[in-house]
Amino acid sequence: MGRFDTRRIGQYGLVLVIAVTLNFLLPRLMPGNPLALIAGVDVGLLTPDQRAELVTEFGLDTPVWQQYVRYWQDLLTLDLGYSYRSGQAILGMLLERLPWTLLLTGSALLISGVIGIVAGAISAWRRGGALDLTLLTSMIGLESMPAFWLGMLLISGFAVSLGVLPSFGAETAVSGLEGWDRLVDIAEHAVLPVLTLSIVSTPGVYMTMRYSMLEVLGEDFIRTGRAKGATERRLLFRHVARNALAPVLTVLALRLGYAFGGTVVIETVFSYPGLGRLVFEAVGGRDYPVMQAAFLVFTFAVLAANLLAELVYPLLDPRTRASA
Amino acid sequence: MSQVVDPVDVLPAEGPAEPLPDGSTRRLPRLATVLGWVGGAIVVALVLIAVFAPQLAPYDPTERVGVPFSPPGADHLLGTNDVGQDLLSELIHGTRVSLLVGIVAATVAIVIGGTIGTVAGYYPRRLGATLMRGVDVVLILPFLPLLIVLAAYLGRSLITTTLVIGSLIWAGSARVIRAQVLSLRTRDYVLAAKSMGATDRWAIRRHVLPRTALLASGEFVQATASAILLEAALSFLGLGDPLQKSWGSILYWAQVRGAFFGPAWKWWVLPPGLMIMAASLGFALLAFSLEERINPRL
Repeated sequence: MGRFDTRRIGQYGLVLVIAVTLNFLLPRLMPGNPLALIAGVDVGLLTPDQRAELVTEFGLDTPVWQQYVRYWQDLLTLDLGYSYRSGQAILGMLLERLPWTLLLTGSALLISGVIGIVAGAISAWRRGGALDLTLLTSMIGLESMPAFWLGMLLISGFAVSLGVLPSFGAETAVSGLEGWDRLVDIAEHAVLPVLTLSIVSTPGVYMTMRYSMLEVLGEDFIRTGRAKGATERRLLFRHVARNALAPVLTVLALRLGYAFGGTVVIETVFSYPGLGRLVFEAVGGRDYPVMQAAFLVFTFAVLAANLLAELVYPLLDPRTRASA
Repeated sequence: MSQVVDPVDVLPAEGPAEPLPDGSTRRLPRLATVLGWVGGAIVVALVLIAVFAPQLAPYDPTERVGVPFSPPGADHLLGTNDVGQDLLSELIHGTRVSLLVGIVAATVAIVIGGTIGTVAGYYPRRLGATLMRGVDVVLILPFLPLLIVLAAYLGRSLITTTLVIGSLIWAGSARVIRAQVLSLRTRDYVLAAKSMGATDRWAIRRHVLPRTALLASGEFVQATASAILLEAALSFLGLGDPLQKSWGSILYWAQVRGAFFGPAWKWWVLPPGLMIMAASLGFALLAFSLEERINPRL
């Protein structure tokens, strides 16, 4: 199994290199003035001197391979440059936004993970039964729902009509709340975005778990277990669910990328100050350096989650553990 | 091989389904048939709306025909938007954008995914392994953020939206198709044909592709459902074609103007979302029914 792991790590490295290279190449391959696409500057408004200064700053007068090397050097020393719009250091902006996005995706992944796994297990266990058919149909329905639209409806319902929950932001501005009160305030602001993200993330987990369970249900050791007279409950939890869970975990890690995609639209709807909203603002303001940096953070987080899943996998799956 | 569950990888691709442990009923196939018909009806209805949009829509969706922010009334069944365009007409014309982007992007995806999947499945050694490595890379990259970066650089037009979506959603189909081809290439009839001197090209055309077509059509329909949702998300973020209003961009303007903070959500926010959902659901139900037919053990 050791060899397998190193190959995987190599592959994640490759993904990272591809993401960085894509970031480097895209603005340089586009027609038009690369300066506008790299620095996000309204080139027309600059004096020739300012323009020349920026060209030197970004090294655009050097050969492409030198620019590429410099791009990596800057990245590795965490020098991500400055936002064209706000003038803030990009690294600081990312660090400020990241915790909010992690709060949303973490909570939603946990909620949708638990609900999806339990519902998927029940569904597969009662395959063809009324409960399975109901769950299956409603999950297909949920999967077709646009996340941002669901968010807008929840705002109309809970925040505006009922007035019970806040509709925007991550906490009440200049409230002066501290300690426990502040936590409650943050939690209240997180309810609707987390609910939205959880709802749209559940069908994927459910489908995977249901499928994985059906796979396991067809295997010999289940028949053996039945023949030995194991109770249904014991069979379900101890044998089937446990064996079905390991592949689901891997898929859950892969779905983090999907959840991040969800945060872009959901944070936009809820004006939630996370990374997703930052991407939206950067795209709208043509603040390309910020957009690129946020994309890299997303990529890095997805890779980290997958690596973590790889490491946990052998602990969960009795088969891989035996051969480790 | 990655550990993500690959439907056809582990199952026999043909032959009768194994009896299930609990002697399950025929209710699931029946549900799949019913849902398939429902999905088909939705898709047909939407195609009709798209084709006859100019006849169905009461107004030209690009013209300012009423007082901005009007609530629904006799003149405007769904009211007007922030510049006085008729929302119902926008909704009807939006069907064209959504279906066009969805179907063309899915075609792009299935051409790329089908080619890569077939080649990788038929030549599983070095070439196949390398191709699948590429597929894994595409699968792991955070999807919507990448889509946004690409769309931001390539510009806002229907063609870029379509191509960008199509060139990113093929990877899942490539895996499914590869698994099918992988199991087909060692079947008796393929081996027999090859032993009699058939070329790879001939074996693929004569034996492999016909038995992959149904699976590929299921993947195509599923890809259409995803592409419709992605187009809506991109347009909602303001990255859609500014000249072609789609359901997503109606919601973008509803969001910018804060329509969901007032009563306007009922006519400005609810209908476009229901249309997006209906379109995506129609194709998803068709895909489900196809999949149930291809792989009855699900």
